[in-house]
Amino acid sequence: MIELTDDAVGARAVAELRGVHKHYGEVEALRGVDLQVGPGELVALLGPNGAGKTTAVGVLLGQRRPNAGSARLLGRDPTLPATRRLVGAIPQLAGFPDNLTVAEVADFVRVHYPDPAPTPELLERFGLSQVAGRRAGGLSGGLTRRLAVALAFAGRPRLVVLDEPTTGLDVESRRGLWEILRAFVADGGAVLLTTHYLEEAQALASRVVVLADGQVVAHGSVEEITARAGLSRGHVRVPSPPGLEEAILRLTGGSS
Amino acid sequence: MSVVLAHFKEQTLQHLRAPAYLLPTLALPGLFYFLFEGPDTEVGLVTFLMASYAMWAILGVAFFQFGAGIAEERATPWERFLRTLPLSGLQRLAGRVLSAALFAAAAAAVVIVEAHLINPVSVAAGRWLPWLGALGAGGLVVALGGIAMGYWASPRAATPVATLAWLLLAYLGGLWATPGELPGWAAEVSPYLPTRLWGEVTWAAVQGQAASPGGWLGLTAWAVGFAVLALWGYRRDEGASYR
Repeated sequence: MIELTDDAVGARAVAELRGVHKHYGEVEALRGVDLQVGPGELVALLGPNGAGKTTAVGVLLGQRRPNAGSARLLGRDPTLPATRRLVGAIPQLAGFPDNLTVAEVADFVRVHYPDPAPTPELLERFGLSQVAGRRAGGLSGGLTRRLAVALAFAGRPRLVVLDEPTTGLDVESRRGLWEILRAFVADGGAVLLTTHYLEEAQALASRVVVLADGQVVAHGSVEEITARAGLSRGHVRVPSPPGLEEAILRLTGGSS
Repeated sequence: MSVVLAHFKEQTLQHLRAPAYLLPTLALPGLFYFLFEGPDTEVGLVTFLMASYAMWAILGVAFFQFGAGIAEERATPWERFLRTLPLSGLQRLAGRVLSAALFAAAAAAVVIVEAHLINPVSVAAGRWLPWLGALGAGGLVVALGGIAMGYWASPRAATPVATLAWLLLAYLGGLWATPGELPGWAAEVSPYLPTRLWGEVTWAAVQGQAASPGGWLGLTAWAVGFAVLALWGYRRDEGASYR
């Protein structure tokens, strides 16, 4: 068993990609990507479709093997199951067995962790108590997503990696998740999230990393990103979210 | 161990609540035994056929729970989510195997109990252990075949492939009648099939005869072949999906 001490977690990046290259045949999905997420930090990974965000998350979680470079989670090899004991994650596509209830799925997932959250507490926190007895495979898209996010927190993680966590959520659920993520980060947790909702990145992220064509084209705070793209809050007349959107479009070569 | 038990429970609950799985595995072998083989009075024949139908029941679990089950699940979001958990492939497999063992025992038990209720079957006290041992050993071989099928069949083709293989191997292996009743072409193929080889060692055990070494050797060869195919298929799937 691998012991993940506070020193191991706190003294270095909680999640790290270093010079990662990943190709699928002729297609180069990642080209020398560097990425770090520290304790108490929420990093938003942004970029257009096909930029390499999901591949980067896959490499970080040990599901994809890089052709070059390295990935570390909590200072350890992410392909080792024991490394993931303090990590919660949701893949881009969520789906659950038709024949298990929501509570059974939560009970099942929490068994994998050394200090899991109790199922009733977890379901209550994510507004799923009312559907605890329903078949998990029959939930609506929004509830399915909410359950997926809840499960990422089942093991009381130090790091959560969320691939488009709020896709399909209604506004209230999205804002509710934002509050949970803010509290988690304030408590020293680390978050890496990919999202297409720029207002989400703007509202939550301590840092933004912009991927385009498999490369990091910008990273920094929202203000730094917008400034680098030659924009400022004053430059864009509408409220703040389009400021980041404009910057992303400029940095990734999209039209504005 | 608790993780393995959790996967055993997850697999068992899922299959218990799936009529499409329960019907062929738990109900059909017992139903077919009743419709085609009983009630009868010939002790030797009904005992022989009880052993055959118990094998067919176990074969169904191996092909549907491993073959169709793995093939259909391996591309699902749920399986992808499981990859994010602190979980090894071996723990997942152990949970599957335990669950399948439970269903295989239940499926065989349905046939055995039914045969005892409707027919004058007779298994001497000293033959039970060798018989159940032969059933279990052959069950492991066909389970490996099921796992290989699960990694080579496409999700959409898996259930038809499993059904076809289940029916053909039962018929050609002589599990539905006796091998002597097979037509010429089938009789020529039959001795080389895993179900027939499994039958040879199981029939010998239930009848208190010594099994020919050829039966065990043949079964071992199939086990090695299936294991190689399963491992190859697993690595191929890992390469395609996760590397």
